[in-house]
Amino acid sequence: MQIDHAQNNAPTARRMDLFALTWRMPIIVWQVLFFVGPLLFMVAMSFFLVKNYVMQETFVFDNWSKMFSRGYFRDSYFYTLFLATLSTISASLLAFPASFALAFKVSDSTRRWALFLLIIPFFTSYLVRIFSWYVILAESGVINGMLSTIGLGPYTMLNTKFGTVVGYMTLTLPLVVVLQTFSLANIDRNLVQAAHNLGCSPWRTVYTVIVPLAKTGLIVAALFCFILSFGDFVSPYYLGGSKPPTLPILIIDTTKSGQQWPRAAVIAVVMMATLITIAFAAITLAYRKRTSR
Amino acid sequence: MSTPPVSPLVTMEGVDKHFGKFVAVKGLNLTIDKGEFVAIMGTSGCGKTTTLRMLAGLEQPTAGTIRIAGKLMNDVRPHERDTPMVWQSLALFPFLNARENVEFGLKMRNQQAEVRRKKALEWLDRLGVSEFAERNVETLSGGQRQRVALARSLVTEPQLLLLDEPLSALDAHLVIRMQSVLTKLQRELGITFVYVTHSQSEAFAMADRVIIMSNGEIAQTGIPRDIYREPANRFVAEFVGRNNIISGDVAKAKGKKIEINSQIGIFKFNANRPAVPTVGKAVTFVIAADLVEVTRTKPKADNVVECTLISEEFIGSMVTLFLETADGTEFKVQLQERELAKLDHNSGGKFYLSWQAESAHLLPSEKSI
Repeated sequence: MQIDHAQNNAPTARRMDLFALTWRMPIIVWQVLFFVGPLLFMVAMSFFLVKNYVMQETFVFDNWSKMFSRGYFRDSYFYTLFLATLSTISASLLAFPASFALAFKVSDSTRRWALFLLIIPFFTSYLVRIFSWYVILAESGVINGMLSTIGLGPYTMLNTKFGTVVGYMTLTLPLVVVLQTFSLANIDRNLVQAAHNLGCSPWRTVYTVIVPLAKTGLIVAALFCFILSFGDFVSPYYLGGSKPPTLPILIIDTTKSGQQWPRAAVIAVVMMATLITIAFAAITLAYRKRTSR
Repeated sequence: MSTPPVSPLVTMEGVDKHFGKFVAVKGLNLTIDKGEFVAIMGTSGCGKTTTLRMLAGLEQPTAGTIRIAGKLMNDVRPHERDTPMVWQSLALFPFLNARENVEFGLKMRNQQAEVRRKKALEWLDRLGVSEFAERNVETLSGGQRQRVALARSLVTEPQLLLLDEPLSALDAHLVIRMQSVLTKLQRELGITFVYVTHSQSEAFAMADRVIIMSNGEIAQTGIPRDIYREPANRFVAEFVGRNNIISGDVAKAKGKKIEINSQIGIFKFNANRPAVPTVGKAVTFVIAADLVEVTRTKPKADNVVECTLISEEFIGSMVTLFLETADGTEFKVQLQERELAKLDHNSGGKFYLSWQAESAHLLPSEKSI
């Protein structure tokens, strides 16, 4: 019906397209100017040279070969990958029971309130929230204070991997819970009951039926967590003590030492490539339909 | 066709189910024999699905006891029972292919992969869908999915199969096909089927026994013929088939022959049950629409009513005429389409409805539920 309409009234259809295009233009212009443009410039810059603190527009592979020959870059890369993965797994596992309860065990109004409360952390700046962890995690902080009353500690939690991951999850955990809750709440309850009906115990139903049904949402939630953690500068800097440095910290350090913007661009391009690969793989996995085996 | 007496497989005694203040089922007493095909029928909200879900353990009764094969089931959880259900929505797992869906119940019983696969393929073959074994269930047609769902429920060879309006999503011609598949399977396997439906044709075509529910209670239970010809009360008489219902006071009673005074005249009936009502008592008779004669000239019969035609309804070769007496009482008459031509029904005018005294069925009580 619609196709016929479009063919029979081609001029009208074209006018409609123009109208729609007008409304689509702002976002296209924005993306081209502030995303695609800078991205291409960054890729180009990774081939520039810096001489006497002045950047020269050249096309040489010096920056790439230098960065890839440095051990610290490779170490930092895998360390960042490791921390982001750790954060993703921890956040997904910690969030799941909460999301499960919100999706299946509470009333609709409780779920609405919980989702509202989960959005509240985003009202304040991430940086402020990270600083507030100092009070809690410091040697003389809240946690160690409580532990000392039962004769434990003090434990060092600031400037550690633990601190970094806590920081990452401050950013990502509420988001992961929200995304997981949405995907779990959309599951057809009949399928869950059908599993019970066929002899599947409630525990077993979680991983044989509920997780496969919510797969797309669970993977997308994890992907968001990974992307945010991988690119985060604040948490590894303030709570991780930037030792060893993650890639975002390495970018800052590289630009500060000798105005090496082209080498920083190399790091940035590598990060972009990594994230694009992982995001593509995750989305493919999330939406993969079953095919015959 | 009657088999020797068998022990009941399912016994429900005094079962109540409340959802908050809503009473879904009240005081349900029901026994279902081994190998029986029972249909529970009623309008939506009559408690038929709740009853089925209680048998599956998906709802717990508020009061009363449910026994299956002699075992008290009130506190047995769904996954600890062997009461597979065929769902209205089919509830096939979209992340598994047809064979894996069928294997699911066996997997939960920790059967070996080889055995599971073999049994699943056998059942898919038995239901005529083995060629789709490795297909994604979402790519199958409604009828094919229906068969996969049946195979999934039957693969564990249960004693009792619960069916919740399984055919309601299918096209009319597929419904007839699946009805014969279901009755054939049930007879071959000797499994007890409890079939919930709102469709009279499905219930009457398949079931050995039909249970009519209304407002959470059983309105009548019996073989399809009895439900149709001898409704136990006004609700069943109105719900099932096309019946004409006449109420009045007994004016004369001579043996079985009685005469009643009703709003639209005096009628003669034969009381078709031992307890003959006495003079002055209020009674209700039911005359099935297919037992009423319709003519253009006044016939000689026990009971005659003069009517005008309001409307007609065709279902294949059967026609239902809706007529009205002078005071607005409605009558229904069923006849063959070919008989309709003789009536010259489009020219308007008077019609005479008539029936014999013995065609009527006396309702045992005026209990209205």
